[in-house]
Amino acid sequence: MQYVASPYMESITSHADWKRGSAELLILSLVEARPRHGYEISTLIEQRSGGAVRFHVASLYPLLYRLEHRGWLSGKWVEKSGQRRRRYYRLTHQGRRVLALQLRGWREFAAGINRITEAENA
Amino acid sequence: MPKWKLEILRRLAPLRLAPTREAEIADELAQHLEDRYQELLALGVSDEEASSTAIGELEGEDLLARGLRLVERDLYREPVTLGRSGGNFFSSIVQDIRYALRMLRKSPGFTLAAVLTLALGIGANTAIFSFIDGILLRSLPVKDPQQLVVLRWSAHTRPKLKGHSDYGDCLNLSGDCSFSLPFFKNLRDHTNAFSHMAAFAGPLDYDFSGNGPASMARGQYVSGDFFSTLGVNAIVGRPLGVSDDSASAPPAIVLSYAYWQRALAADRSVAGRVVRLNNISTVIVGVAEPRFTNLTPGKTIDFFMPFSVADRIRPEHWGLSDRLSDPGVWWSVIVGRLKPDVLLARAQAVATTMFVNETTHGATPFLNEADAPSIKLLPAAEGLDGESSQIAPMLYLLMFAVGLILLITCANVAGLMLARSATRQREMAVRLALGAGRARIMRQLLTESLLLSLVGGALGMFLSLWGIKAIVVLFSSGYEAFPFEIAPDWRVLLFTLGVTFAVGILFGLAPSVRGARIDLTPSLKQTASLLPGSAAHSGRWFRLGNALVVAQVALSIVVLIGAGLLVRTLHNLHNLNPGFDTRSILLLGLNPTAAGYTDQKTAQLYSDLQQRFAALPGVISVSYSEDALLSGNWSSDDVHLDGAPPKQNVEAARLTVGLNFFSTMRIPLLGGRTFNSADFAVASAIIAARTAAEEAASKAKASDTANPAAVATRAVSKPNLAPLPVIINETFARQYFPNQNPLGKHFNDPQEDNEAPVGLQPGYLIVGIAGDAKYNSLRREIKPTMYMPLVNNTAHFELRTAADPLALVKLVHGIVSSVDDNLPLFDVRTQTEQIDQTLFLDRLMARISSAFALLALVLACVGLYGLLSYEVARRTRELGIRMAMGAQRRDLLRMVISQGILLVLIGSAIGIAAAIGVTRFLSTILYGVHADDPLTFAGVAILLTLVALTACYIPARRATRVDPMVALRYD
Repeated sequence: MQYVASPYMESITSHADWKRGSAELLILSLVEARPRHGYEISTLIEQRSGGAVRFHVASLYPLLYRLEHRGWLSGKWVEKSGQRRRRYYRLTHQGRRVLALQLRGWREFAAGINRITEAENA
Repeated sequence: MPKWKLEILRRLAPLRLAPTREAEIADELAQHLEDRYQELLALGVSDEEASSTAIGELEGEDLLARGLRLVERDLYREPVTLGRSGGNFFSSIVQDIRYALRMLRKSPGFTLAAVLTLALGIGANTAIFSFIDGILLRSLPVKDPQQLVVLRWSAHTRPKLKGHSDYGDCLNLSGDCSFSLPFFKNLRDHTNAFSHMAAFAGPLDYDFSGNGPASMARGQYVSGDFFSTLGVNAIVGRPLGVSDDSASAPPAIVLSYAYWQRALAADRSVAGRVVRLNNISTVIVGVAEPRFTNLTPGKTIDFFMPFSVADRIRPEHWGLSDRLSDPGVWWSVIVGRLKPDVLLARAQAVATTMFVNETTHGATPFLNEADAPSIKLLPAAEGLDGESSQIAPMLYLLMFAVGLILLITCANVAGLMLARSATRQREMAVRLALGAGRARIMRQLLTESLLLSLVGGALGMFLSLWGIKAIVVLFSSGYEAFPFEIAPDWRVLLFTLGVTFAVGILFGLAPSVRGARIDLTPSLKQTASLLPGSAAHSGRWFRLGNALVVAQVALSIVVLIGAGLLVRTLHNLHNLNPGFDTRSILLLGLNPTAAGYTDQKTAQLYSDLQQRFAALPGVISVSYSEDALLSGNWSSDDVHLDGAPPKQNVEAARLTVGLNFFSTMRIPLLGGRTFNSADFAVASAIIAARTAAEEAASKAKASDTANPAAVATRAVSKPNLAPLPVIINETFARQYFPNQNPLGKHFNDPQEDNEAPVGLQPGYLIVGIAGDAKYNSLRREIKPTMYMPLVNNTAHFELRTAADPLALVKLVHGIVSSVDDNLPLFDVRTQTEQIDQTLFLDRLMARISSAFALLALVLACVGLYGLLSYEVARRTRELGIRMAMGAQRRDLLRMVISQGILLVLIGSAIGIAAAIGVTRFLSTILYGVHADDPLTFAGVAILLTLVALTACYIPARRATRVDPMVALRYD
């Protein structure tokens, strides 16, 4: 996944491609409000998509590390009393900008698709 | 949990991550699997199923490794090969710095040599810049200094004034900044352009007593609003105010902080204490705050007093002139602050209008309108330059010299770096072969040079602190105390940092460009470069290395020649015959008038002291004069020679002297006679008659203004006075009485343009001719000079002694205080010390420039030595072959030395050409030697060649000791 801000530029044909294209957007938007750990992120994605989108360890963590490496997320080990220590991911300033850009792109893309499909089906 | 970790670690193994990173990933992923496992258990899934579902999250054997490889490789598995592009910019910089540190640690000899060289170069520059900063760039120690302006006037002709004094405040201005006090008051009271205005004048020396033994102190007259205008407060008591500056106010002074510390031991109860200034009771009202030392740089001020006391506390030479209310006496400097809404141009126009009115339409016009008198307002920091304008050319000269030394330093270290980069060719080639970019290699080498210069810069900063101290000590030998405060501030720090970076880039550039241009194949097969005649042998490094040595030689020649000329100047001044015997003379100053002596009493005092001093053991003879010879002070008068056309006056320096002056100073008498007691009686009579006449005239002026004829009548009824006997010098005789015997000739006071000669005009009678002697300074040409009998004045006694004159100081002090405890004794020193003091700037320049020249010479020779040593080491194999083929040791010696000398000769030629262009800027401070003096030029070239020969000889001798068998096996 080499794109940064233009997920819709990829050719999106299958369920897997949909997932790959939107993965960064999903993760960034989930940590926008508050820092979350990896398991929490994966559970939320699964719950909120009604089980349609699921990330396994082998794909979620490389993605988190890449986002961290790019400077969009920042990970930090947090230890709370009575709990094991977990790594929490927080949206950085740069990540917030990328998220805004991606969301706008995504919305324009969805609106475009809607306009086309509605016109064809009317 | 451990079971998850094992599974994860097995899958991470192919990535070969750093252990800490690997553990971190394993921890995080295991936590995830554990969470999943616990959740499934909670949902009622069996332990076995929950466990296999959780493991299933890892999705097969290699998916995790594949997913992580892309991300983790960049971060954690980068090979240490330098120069790979990409990756995090800052992390690679840190990597560069760490690598550079390692490389520098690996060759401590090189690092030490480079750092020391750089520290010397940067240190010398920082030290000299600190002086420029402290003396020329300092801001005035007042509130909002940028708002303060100083007034300067100019006109096409000199105004016809009754008196004009300046106290060295505006030395570098084309105009003048002395004004009359009435003009100041008029401007202050009748313009609305300024929010504050103040005036000051001085400092002058006063007899300060009532605080231990009497001493001389330097006091400045200030207007009542001086302290409020400048925003300066008192640390003890109060500052002077407007109420202190009125004729009815009792005399009050404010001490400077330094004087309070020095002379009153920082006694806080000093406010309210009564002291005596020139025998007038004065109260100390306060002490100025420490930061306020002076307004004009370099002036030492001990106390401030209001202008209003100038009619009581005043130097004797002012005579009866009315400095407070006479618009014809210009002597005070005016400073002011503009009102916030007033433009400089408007304030200037207002002041000019008032100045034109005052000077051209006043009661006595001093100028015509055609003279275009005008006033300019200058920022005070620029206008009040004082001493700094005297020192500035010297400082700029030194800055230029240290700038050259910095260039030599750069060339030197660049040479070292080049030699080293040549030995690192193979390393660079390996890196390039491994995929390092050339830009990245350049960056790495530049990082090394910047690191070197930063360490050198830090050390240089410390060296400069030491250098500043040393120069201040040298300076202080001339001044009583060095009048400027030199403390490195942010400007100096910024300068050093800038120089450090510039130097790092300058000397790092050549080797780094060279490093990035390496040709891979021959460099990897390194031995190829060791063969004579190979491509690398005549390659770029060699040419660049030679050029650097030539540059060093050329630059050091310029510094050496500059220093050579200054040393010769000092030598010429030292060896100059001043026309009198300067050895074994003790000088001491006395100011009886300041202690309240009248004319008659003064004459008696001098004669008394002369006898007592002469009776001291070891004293050969004693005399006195108004100024000591070669003290820097002098006075001159215009005279009208008998028989000359009317109003055609000539100028003659004048010095009043006591009995036995010529024999004590050993100035030869060429004709006529020296002064005798009768001459002094004549002089006393003339002065007494003049004083009486002046007083009578001023009384008559007051009562007879309506009847000028009465004044004229009284002036005519003058007593019949004998002319004043004078002794002239040889130049006077030669210039004004060519081919005549001047003995017995008469001349008169000057004939002025606008006045008929009135009053007493007995004139002068030449009774003797003395040999030429230097008067105020060794540099100044001997002017026509007339010596006259001294009867009432400040005097400097001269004691010619048989042994060490300084041994008499205590006895002399004893005699003076036994005669009168109120008499301050000042300037106690030997004639040799006096001369040394006048030469101190010359000596300082000669010493500092010699030190810098020596540094330049050493650096150039080290550069030459380094180059040749490297050459010999590099050509060991070639030298071995030559020896095996039958070359004699002498041939090899000649071969290496001739290479070095050729470089020196080329460098010298370029350096001499450059020096011819540069040294003419020195011509104003040279004495007895031309700026392009061939002797100095040749001497310096020979000196450099001889020293360079030594630098060449050591590596050359090493070349002759090459064992052919060892050399041939040399790889």
